[in-house]
Amino acid sequence: MTTAQANVGLAAPTAGGSRRTGSRPMVTAVLTAVAVVVAAAFILPALWILIGSFRPTDDILSSMSPLTWQLFVPTHVTIDNYTRLLVDSGFSRALLNSAFVCVASVLIGLLVSSMAAYTLAVFRFPGRNLVFALVVISFMVPFEAIAIPLSQQFISWGLGNTLVGLILPGIGNGLAVFNLRQYFLGIPTSYREAAMLDGASEPRILFLLYLRISGPALTNSAVLIFLGQWTAYLWPLLVISDTRLQLAPVALASTFGERSADYGQNFAGTVLLALVPAISMLVLQRFFGRLSLTSGEK
Amino acid sequence: MNVARTTSDRPAPLRRRRAGRRQELFWGAVFLAPVLVSLVVLRIVPAVGAITSSLYKAFPGGIIPATYAGLQNYRSLFGDPNFNATIVRTILFNLVINPVQILVALLVAVLLVQRIPLVGLWRTLLFVPVTIPIVGSCIAWGAALNPEGPVNAIISALGGKPQPFFTSPGQALACIIVIASWIGIGYWMLFLVSGLQAIPEELYDAAKIDRAGPVRTFFHITLPMLRRPLLFVLVADTVANFVLFVPVQLLTGGGPQSSTTLLMFEAYRTSYAFGSRNLGAAQVVLLTVIMLFFVLLQFRLLREEGES
Repeated sequence: MTTAQANVGLAAPTAGGSRRTGSRPMVTAVLTAVAVVVAAAFILPALWILIGSFRPTDDILSSMSPLTWQLFVPTHVTIDNYTRLLVDSGFSRALLNSAFVCVASVLIGLLVSSMAAYTLAVFRFPGRNLVFALVVISFMVPFEAIAIPLSQQFISWGLGNTLVGLILPGIGNGLAVFNLRQYFLGIPTSYREAAMLDGASEPRILFLLYLRISGPALTNSAVLIFLGQWTAYLWPLLVISDTRLQLAPVALASTFGERSADYGQNFAGTVLLALVPAISMLVLQRFFGRLSLTSGEK
Repeated sequence: MNVARTTSDRPAPLRRRRAGRRQELFWGAVFLAPVLVSLVVLRIVPAVGAITSSLYKAFPGGIIPATYAGLQNYRSLFGDPNFNATIVRTILFNLVINPVQILVALLVAVLLVQRIPLVGLWRTLLFVPVTIPIVGSCIAWGAALNPEGPVNAIISALGGKPQPFFTSPGQALACIIVIASWIGIGYWMLFLVSGLQAIPEELYDAAKIDRAGPVRTFFHITLPMLRRPLLFVLVADTVANFVLFVPVQLLTGGGPQSSTTLLMFEAYRTSYAFGSRNLGAAQVVLLTVIMLFFVLLQFRLLREEGES
C-alpha cells in the first residue's frame, strides 16, 4: 500500500498535473489522508504549546501522561502565564531589547544593502560582478561559523554588552543585497536618465526614485534582516553577559534552564517569540518559495 | 522636464556624460563602502583571526602573552580520542540528518503539489514549525520528550514501552535529529514545492504520450528537472546542520556521555566554558574546513550526475 501511494504521488508532480481517469477519487482520498496525517504531525506540537501557554503549569503536567483528550483540552483557561512572564520576570525588557535591535538592524541594514545594491545594479565599473559575487558569497558563509572568533574581536573592541555589538552583525546581509539588486535591475534605466537630466544627484535618485518604487524588495529584505536578529541566539549569548541587555531568545532559554518545571511560562514565552515571525513569514510565504528559484538558478 | 530634454539636451551630452561618470565613481565608492567595510570587519577579520589564533598557544586566562606554536593545537586535538570521536559524530550526524531531511522534504513536496483538497492549508501547517524560533522549538520538544511527557504517553497508549529519550546516550542525538527535522522539513519543502511547480507541464504531457509509468516519469523528468533546487536545498541544509547549536546547548549540554557533543558545541565550550581560545579557534577552523569539504563534494556529485 505504501509503495502504491508513493507511485501515485510521484505520477503527477505538478498541481495541474495529469487528469487521471477511473481511480482518481480513490487516489485523491488516499493522498489527502496522507497529507492530513503528515500535517498533523507537524502542527500538533505547536498546538500543544499554544494551548499550554493558556493553562496553569500543573494542568500541563497532569495532562501529559497517560494519554487522554485532556492533553489538548485545558481544564482551566488563564492568561496568568503571560502576565507573570511579562510583569514579574525580565522577559518584557528582553522583548523590548530584541525589538529595538531588530528595528535598528532593519533600518541600517536596508540603508547599507540598498546603497550597495544600487551601485551594483546601475553603475558600470570594472570588477562589478566580482564585487557582487564577493559580497553575496562571503555573507552566505554561515554566521555561526564565524561567531565565536568574531565575538572575541567584538569584546576586545569594547562592543561586548552593548546594543551596537548586537546590531552590527545584522546589517551586512548578502541576501538582502542580492534581492534588492535583482529588483533594481528590473527598473528601466530611462527613469534614472530622466532624473539625471533633471539634475538629480545619485542619492536623490536612489532614495527618492528607486526606493520609492521598490516596496516588495524592501519588505522582503527587511523581513530577512528582522528574522535573523529576532531569532538570533548564539550571538547574544556570546557578546552579552549583562541580563538587562539580553535578548528575548536567550532570556527565554535561561528561564527554561532555571525553572525547568514552569512549562506554562516557558510556553507563553515561546508563543510571544513565535508570534512576530509567524505572522510575517506566513504573509510572505510565497516570497520564500520564489527565493529558491532565483537562488537555485544562480 | 520634457522641455529640457527636447531643447537644451542635445548640445552637451558629452560634457554631461563625463560629469556623470565622475559622479558615478564618487557615489559608487560612497555607496559600496559600508558593505565592504562590514564584509571586512564581520567576515574577513574574524576568519583570519581564527586561523592565526589557532596557530598560537596560551594559557587559559591570558595573562601570559600567546606564543607561536605552529600546528601544535591541531596535533593535540587529533591526538585526543574524545575530539576525534566528536569529529566522527559530527560527520555521521550530518550523513544521516541531511539526506533524511531532504528526502522527506522531497516526498512531502511531491505530495503537496498534487491536486488534493485544501492543499494550501496542509502546506501552511507544515510550515508553522519554521516560524517558531529554534529556542521555542527546543523548549517544546524538550517538554514533549520528557520521559514522563506526552510522546511517551502516546507510545504507551499504542502499546509500546516508554523511552528514555534525552536521558539515554543511545537516543539523545536521535532526538536532536527529530527536533531539527521538525523545523527543517517544512522549510526545505517550500523550496522544493516551488521547484516542482516550475517544471513545465508539457514534459509530463510528453511522458504520458510515451506511456511512461509514474516511477519512470519521476526519475526521468521530475528528478532531473529538480536538480538545481535539490542541490541548493541540500547544500544549505548541510551548512545549517554543521553549525547546529541551540538544541545541544539548551537540551543536552553535549551529554549524556558526550553522545550529543557536536563540533559546533565543542568549539563553543572550548572557547568559553574552558577558556582555551586558541584551541577553540583551531576547532572552528576544522569545522569550517570539514563543512566546506562536504559542500564542495555535493556540488561535484550533483553536477556530474546531471551532466552524464
